[in-house]
Amino acid sequence: MSLPKRIIKETERLVADPAPGITAAPHEDNLRYFNVTIQGPDGSPFQNGIFKLELFLPEEYPMAPPKVRFLTKIYHPNIDKLGRICLDILKDKWSPALQIRTVLLSIQALLSAPNPDDPLATDVAKHYKENENDAQRVSQEWTQKYASGD
Amino acid sequence: MSDTEMSDGPLDGPPPGLFFAGSDDDEPAPVEASQKVEVQNVPRQGLFLPDSDDDEERVFPKDFKGKGAPIEDGQESDLPDFEELPRASSPSSAGDHVSISSSSPPPQPVDLFSSNKGAGPSKKRKLSPEISLSTPQATESMYIGEVLVTNAFSNVSGKGYIKPNEVVQVKREDQDDQGTSSTPSNPAPPPKKTKQLTLRAMMPTRPAKASNKKTKVDTIVRLYNSRGFEFARLPTEVSAWVAKLLDYGVVEINGTMTDCPEKLTVGVSLMVTLNIYMRPSAFQPLKTSKDADGPRALFNETAETMDERVLRERKTSILKLFKVVGLTPRAGANFSGRKSDEQVHEEALKRMAQHKPQKVKEVVGDGEEIETEDAENLSMNELDLIYKKAQHNDSNMGLMEAPPSFTLTLRGYQKQALLWMNSLETGAMDAREASSMHPLWSQYAFPEKPDFTAEFIDLTEDEKFFYFNPYSGELSLKFPKAERNCRGGILADEMGMGKTIMLSALIQSSRACDAEPETAEAPANKSRQLRLNKAFRPNRGDSKARTPSATLIVAPTSLLTQWADELQRSSQPGTMEVVVWHGSNRLDLHAAVQNKDEDDKTIKVVVTSYGVLASEHAKVEKSSNGHSPVFDIEWFRVVLDEAHHCKSRTSKTAKAVYAVKARCRWAVTGTPIVNRLEDLYSLLKFLNFKPWSDFAFFRSFITLPFLARDPKAIEVVQIILESILLRREKNMRDTDGNRIVELPPKEVVLDNLEFAPLERMIYDSLYAPIKRNFEKLDAQGLLSKNYTHILAMLMRLRRAVLHPNLVIGANGKDKVSSKEEIDDVNEMIQKFAKGDGAEGGKFAEDVLNSLNEEAAECPICLDVMEIPMLLPKCLHQCCRDCILAFISTREEKGEEGRCPTCSKGPLKEGELVEVMRAQPTAEGKPPGVVLRRNDFRSSTKLEALTKDLRKLRDQDPCFRAVVFSQFTSFLDLIQIVLEREGFDQYRFDGTMDLKKRNAAVSEFKSASRSPKIMIVSLKAGGVGLNLTNANHVFMMDCWWNAATEHQAIDRVHRIGQEKTVYVKHYLVNDTIEGRIVRIQQRKTAIIKEAFRGTQANKDSESIENLKIMFGTD
Repeated sequence: MSLPKRIIKETERLVADPAPGITAAPHEDNLRYFNVTIQGPDGSPFQNGIFKLELFLPEEYPMAPPKVRFLTKIYHPNIDKLGRICLDILKDKWSPALQIRTVLLSIQALLSAPNPDDPLATDVAKHYKENENDAQRVSQEWTQKYASGD
Repeated sequence: MSDTEMSDGPLDGPPPGLFFAGSDDDEPAPVEASQKVEVQNVPRQGLFLPDSDDDEERVFPKDFKGKGAPIEDGQESDLPDFEELPRASSPSSAGDHVSISSSSPPPQPVDLFSSNKGAGPSKKRKLSPEISLSTPQATESMYIGEVLVTNAFSNVSGKGYIKPNEVVQVKREDQDDQGTSSTPSNPAPPPKKTKQLTLRAMMPTRPAKASNKKTKVDTIVRLYNSRGFEFARLPTEVSAWVAKLLDYGVVEINGTMTDCPEKLTVGVSLMVTLNIYMRPSAFQPLKTSKDADGPRALFNETAETMDERVLRERKTSILKLFKVVGLTPRAGANFSGRKSDEQVHEEALKRMAQHKPQKVKEVVGDGEEIETEDAENLSMNELDLIYKKAQHNDSNMGLMEAPPSFTLTLRGYQKQALLWMNSLETGAMDAREASSMHPLWSQYAFPEKPDFTAEFIDLTEDEKFFYFNPYSGELSLKFPKAERNCRGGILADEMGMGKTIMLSALIQSSRACDAEPETAEAPANKSRQLRLNKAFRPNRGDSKARTPSATLIVAPTSLLTQWADELQRSSQPGTMEVVVWHGSNRLDLHAAVQNKDEDDKTIKVVVTSYGVLASEHAKVEKSSNGHSPVFDIEWFRVVLDEAHHCKSRTSKTAKAVYAVKARCRWAVTGTPIVNRLEDLYSLLKFLNFKPWSDFAFFRSFITLPFLARDPKAIEVVQIILESILLRREKNMRDTDGNRIVELPPKEVVLDNLEFAPLERMIYDSLYAPIKRNFEKLDAQGLLSKNYTHILAMLMRLRRAVLHPNLVIGANGKDKVSSKEEIDDVNEMIQKFAKGDGAEGGKFAEDVLNSLNEEAAECPICLDVMEIPMLLPKCLHQCCRDCILAFISTREEKGEEGRCPTCSKGPLKEGELVEVMRAQPTAEGKPPGVVLRRNDFRSSTKLEALTKDLRKLRDQDPCFRAVVFSQFTSFLDLIQIVLEREGFDQYRFDGTMDLKKRNAAVSEFKSASRSPKIMIVSLKAGGVGLNLTNANHVFMMDCWWNAATEHQAIDRVHRIGQEKTVYVKHYLVNDTIEGRIVRIQQRKTAIIKEAFRGTQANKDSESIENLKIMFGTD
């Protein structure tokens, strides 16, 4: 199965012109599988953390969204224990005009702006809603604990 | 004499010569017969009478049926049809005859009942009418050999009939006349002697295998003693052929009793030596009695005609004779190792019986439809074999330079052709060495006659030769020179070898005067044209004082101007005057072909079409005084281009070309044999190439043997073609081993496409019920009955592969976009601006401005947009394929389409606006942008085509391409697509008149800096067209046989082509197309007729093919 031109192009561009705070590199064996890192945005509880993700481009891509998952544990209302992400563009709001880069940037933005009203990890969301500061503290702890970048 | 002897009332008196014949078997009533027998053959009386009638009845009807088929054929009253048939002499059997013969035309029953008695002498055998009387002692009779017959059998008992060494007369019953042997040219059929049959019944042990049942009854050869008493018969295996020889006046036989018992008993074996002499009449030329185009030939082509049978039997018997007497040819045609004629004939008939004459409509000439018999087709191998012999020595042929007035340069093989053609026209035969003896003939030497029979004195010391044509059965004493009785031939070089140019060179090289008048030209009206004897030829007084000098070229309508152009192009200005005689205002032909004065040396050429010729001929035929200049003028030369247009000899076109008067005749065609050997016949007829221009000959010696799988057929065709056909193929090499034609390479690519989901759905929904239907019919065994129906269904599938609209019809058919729907950019801006206010207007303007610039990136594929599509609501862009794919994936999920960039929706396919970047044109208009609504539904194949064409345009901005499809409705769609793409395109199909076609071709060929595409219907443009200015070919669909496709491709890949030719076949995977290709591969030739005709061929082969179509693998 040859790789669609679009994927090649996206990969090239990700390598040549990476988005700030984001890296994405295809797996050697499977060019549809990417190892991704996202830096926690400044000013967020995830600051200084480096989060590992995996991203997979399904057969139907770009007509279907990529599959993305956090590999690093993260305390975030829209990301569950398994690393799954609740993000509209990864679901029904997906458009083929979006790209890996835009998806990853959106995830980065999600770290800055958790949305506990549309939770995936309900306990985390509850925590955020009831006591945002305490929740952010836990997030910070987790970041230091799991995403310290070593 | 007859009056006195034949007192039996109802009988006509037989003339003297036939006394024995008539008398011996006059069985109107057994009693009368017995009376007469009493007079002549006293001893036999009591012996044979009692059971006679029964016996005859038992045998005769069976026999008659055996001969039944040919009789229906014999409509002409003057045919010798019934002479060989058993006589219907017994009243008891007469009923059978009446009932059978009542289906045939009236004269025959008369023959049946009268020939026996009185009609004999007047009914001369057509084959030898000139032999009226000759005595057995005719000095010209030549000894040919002796045959020892060891098992002749007596049919009398008693002493004194014969002694050893006595002379024995060997006669057919009806030939005997009181010791004077009658003229064997009056071979009345052997009477049906009831006595004889009885005798046979009495002798069951007699070997009977040599002669088959059919001929048993009428091949009795009797032996008489010197006093005229019949005492014995020849055994059937000998009499089978001896009887024919006697009947046809080929031989006379003088026998000697070698050994016999003193007292004969019935059935006792006798040893007789037969001394056989060739009668002078045997060496007379054969004649056939009818015009090949006569109605009877049409009436029933499958049955052997009387003439054919006579020819065949005569030939077979002679061959048998030679074999028995041990004569072998000294020189000439090799004739060994082939099937016997009997075998041939029976196999042929068998095959014909299996293969019912399928009438297949074919289009011949200019759209003339004709039903042809779908007889056995030739395979490619056989065709190759046929041409091989004609080609084997061609590379060594000499060259001939074209005259100075010829402006082009001829290639080597073209110069060879010129020499060959020129020498055929002038009658010099040195171009191709031909053996001095006619290739169909063999030379035999008369054997020396043993001394002891001194009756025939013609003993010369020198060896005397005679000649025999084993194919036709003709005998001759004269040396048969390999003379040509037609000036001209068949130029059958493969397509694209420059046949037009060769002919042009010939026209300029070989001018009038150097050929003597053709005496053997075909008369314009349908008199008998086929006699060998020129003396019978009507002397036509209308020949002009001036020798004819003009050339008439007959070509398919589409090629007329091409001919005219080529002729002019290849000749120095002023040396040739070419008139295209076509259309309503045909000018005065007489003026056109006459040179104005002595100094006028221009060559006159008239180019006309088959259609015109046929209609002019119809005019001539219609009224007795109707005439047409084209048939009045005696041409110096007539050339039929694409001569296979008149391959069907019964078509009006063919008859018209036969009627043209000309001294030299040329048939030019790349396919002299399209699929049957009989295709060749029409050309031979046109060429007046005797004797093959006689249909009976052709049929007897070519068609029937071929049907019987006798290699002889091919052999004969080879021999014919060797002398009149020149065929070179592109891949042939000259003596130096170089290819004679250096054509640029041809690259053929099969593009296997995948259906879009919707198309797949449509196709599958069509296919499933058709397949079910097929399986049902197959299970019921009704396939062949519903063949046409199945073909119609197949046709739908084939269309569905091309474009769903071709099967869905008007429903769901997208509106064909027209000019009004092409929106101007500015209009678009205005619309948008009004709708969305100033800000949107600004954006829209930016967008549209950017459109004018180069290539934006599609947000979906991230590639440069080939055809950008504007989304009407937001003016975002996408490339066409991407946005369509996106919309359809969303629709599959039950969601509405929307903009991928801004999610604005809903969005429908038809709302998209296509941005057309107009190509820079020659007129210097700046490239602009045109918008058009995406309201045209494309298809997989169309998409593939446009994609390839776009790519091509990028690589070569002034490419020339030819697109073929067999469906004109698909051509319409292709046109729409190409128009949308902004390509200059030209169309060529069968519905266009000549003027339009020519215009299309010449515009396509005219120089221009922009790409041009020619859309051609496979059928209309398959032949003749010369499109070498293009070097890209796109085949949109596949035809049932590959040859037709090749022919189409050769419009481009032919002489004059300088570039590599790229051919692309589009096939959609998992459709009927793949199966068609498989059939193509399976066997190339057979299918084409079957699937085209209205009434289809139902043989098993076709059914097999259908099964492939619907196979499950």
